[in-house]
Amino acid sequence: MKVAMTVWGNRVSPVFDSAQTILLAEIKDSTVTWEQREFIAGQIPTRLARMLVDRGIDTLICGAISEQPASIIEAAGIKLVSFVSGNAAHLLEACARGISTDHFKMPGCKIPCCRQQWQQQTLDPQRRPDENGG
Amino acid sequence: MNSKGPPAPLECTEIILESISDGVFTVDLHWRITSFNRAAEEITGISRHEAIGRYCWEVFRSNMCEGDCALRRTMEVGKSFVSSATSIITSNKKQIPITVSTSLLKDGSGEILGGVEVFRDMSLIEELRRDLRSSFLFSDMISRSPAMLELFGMLDQIAQSDSTVLIEGETGTGKELLSRAIHNLSPRQDQPFIAINCGALPDTLLESELFGYKAGAFTDARSDRQGLFSAAEKGTILLDEIGDTSPAFQVRLLRVLEDHTFQPLGSTVPIKTNARLIAATNRDLHGLVETNQFRRDLFYRINIIALRLPPLRDRMEDIPLLVDRFIAKLNRRKKKLISGIDEQALDLLLQHDFPGNIRELENIIEHAFVLCPEGPITPRHLPAFLNLPIQKLRSPAPIDKTVADSERDAILKALHNNHNNRTAAAMQLGLHKSTLFRKVKKLGISLPEQDGRSTRS
Repeated sequence: MKVAMTVWGNRVSPVFDSAQTILLAEIKDSTVTWEQREFIAGQIPTRLARMLVDRGIDTLICGAISEQPASIIEAAGIKLVSFVSGNAAHLLEACARGISTDHFKMPGCKIPCCRQQWQQQTLDPQRRPDENGG
Repeated sequence: MNSKGPPAPLECTEIILESISDGVFTVDLHWRITSFNRAAEEITGISRHEAIGRYCWEVFRSNMCEGDCALRRTMEVGKSFVSSATSIITSNKKQIPITVSTSLLKDGSGEILGGVEVFRDMSLIEELRRDLRSSFLFSDMISRSPAMLELFGMLDQIAQSDSTVLIEGETGTGKELLSRAIHNLSPRQDQPFIAINCGALPDTLLESELFGYKAGAFTDARSDRQGLFSAAEKGTILLDEIGDTSPAFQVRLLRVLEDHTFQPLGSTVPIKTNARLIAATNRDLHGLVETNQFRRDLFYRINIIALRLPPLRDRMEDIPLLVDRFIAKLNRRKKKLISGIDEQALDLLLQHDFPGNIRELENIIEHAFVLCPEGPITPRHLPAFLNLPIQKLRSPAPIDKTVADSERDAILKALHNNHNNRTAAAMQLGLHKSTLFRKVKKLGISLPEQDGRSTRS
């Protein structure tokens, strides 16, 4: 599975619409096997969606996202996991291991932030997303 | 009666914060939210219970957070920032336009505790602005010029008919936009809209594009190919730059218009078409007919409903509206927050005659977007050729005005000294009488009805 995540330093970028960097990763056998960061500032959502499709990305993980880019991403056939925050590496690891990402939910997010049901297990309650996020 | 005295200052502050309509939150030195007022809850849709203790960017989610955080700037330079425009994203993916003001939060001894951010929901103002704009809006076109408003008034009826439409207008006036508007208003709106620039293609290619071809029709035709007339089905086809087509192509097109059928290249079987045709040109088709460069019969076939798009120089009142529209469009596309255009830059645009029309204006604004990092577009963000008139305009204007004022004073004084006798006033000024009258007219001086000669006689 190939995953993309808009990032801001070591965190998930708070707003997809103004994100400047995207992390592309490949997950095989519950392990992140490949990672690459790309600069995306100023790129329009349609072009970004095309780039993600061309790279074979299945899922985009991001922070807050407005309606228009969200629909463009979803229309391109990419699964959207939005309104998440916290440490990007921990979130990616949770995705890879297929465990709950509920702890990464942004405040005010009433619906489950993951459209894709990764979780059957729960993330270690001791490890909060904010732990390394600051 | 309340026996208690007035509330303590801290209580007072809390009461005020809870009663105002601006959202207010404070952060500590680690960017964690320490207070979140009622309006902040309402605007963001996040309760203070959820917000307090979280990083401000997880709650506030503004376009500024990552790149250009006003609160971060305040904390770094110790300076307040007032009314920066941005937008936040709520949990249901709605974008809310806001303005933000930031300042440092200090305790009684002046020690910095963190920062405070005050934000105002601008949705209502934006909505009112949009409503105001939409009264000049028709489909994707915007105008307040009488000629365009008249055109907008007719479009609905034109769209409902099936008649062929001819759109004339200089390049960049929005012929394709108008065609799309007609299509979108018509009962064919769910069918395809296809535009093709006839001037850009040689005859054979244009014919194969429009009518398609059968396998074996020419060397590389290995399989059948559907043309645009087939692809359009019951939709609309825009033939742009129809004035640039060859006489041979015009004959084929005439047959389509007369019989509503066409033949793919290499086929002997006519195919019926139900597509509506809109033709557009930047040339004077009537003139081309007179010089035998365009078939008269085809001209009359397509000239059933003729619409003329005025050039931008004839609708200069639309420039501010168009500029606003392009700025909004480019802000969305380029993810920028350009706030508008300043007066001087707008003046420069209003002095230009726009040979490239609306397309040229859009390109100018796009140029400005590249050079303008934030705030309003100013003259230095505009292309150099627009800035040339600045010197020309700024220096002569006051001199011209001074000369005009002196002339006006001298003429009025001479008329007064000579009891409104025009001939005597002209003589005193050393001018011929006709020169005096020309200057009086040019300077807008109103002369008394009676000449001084008649009152004296």
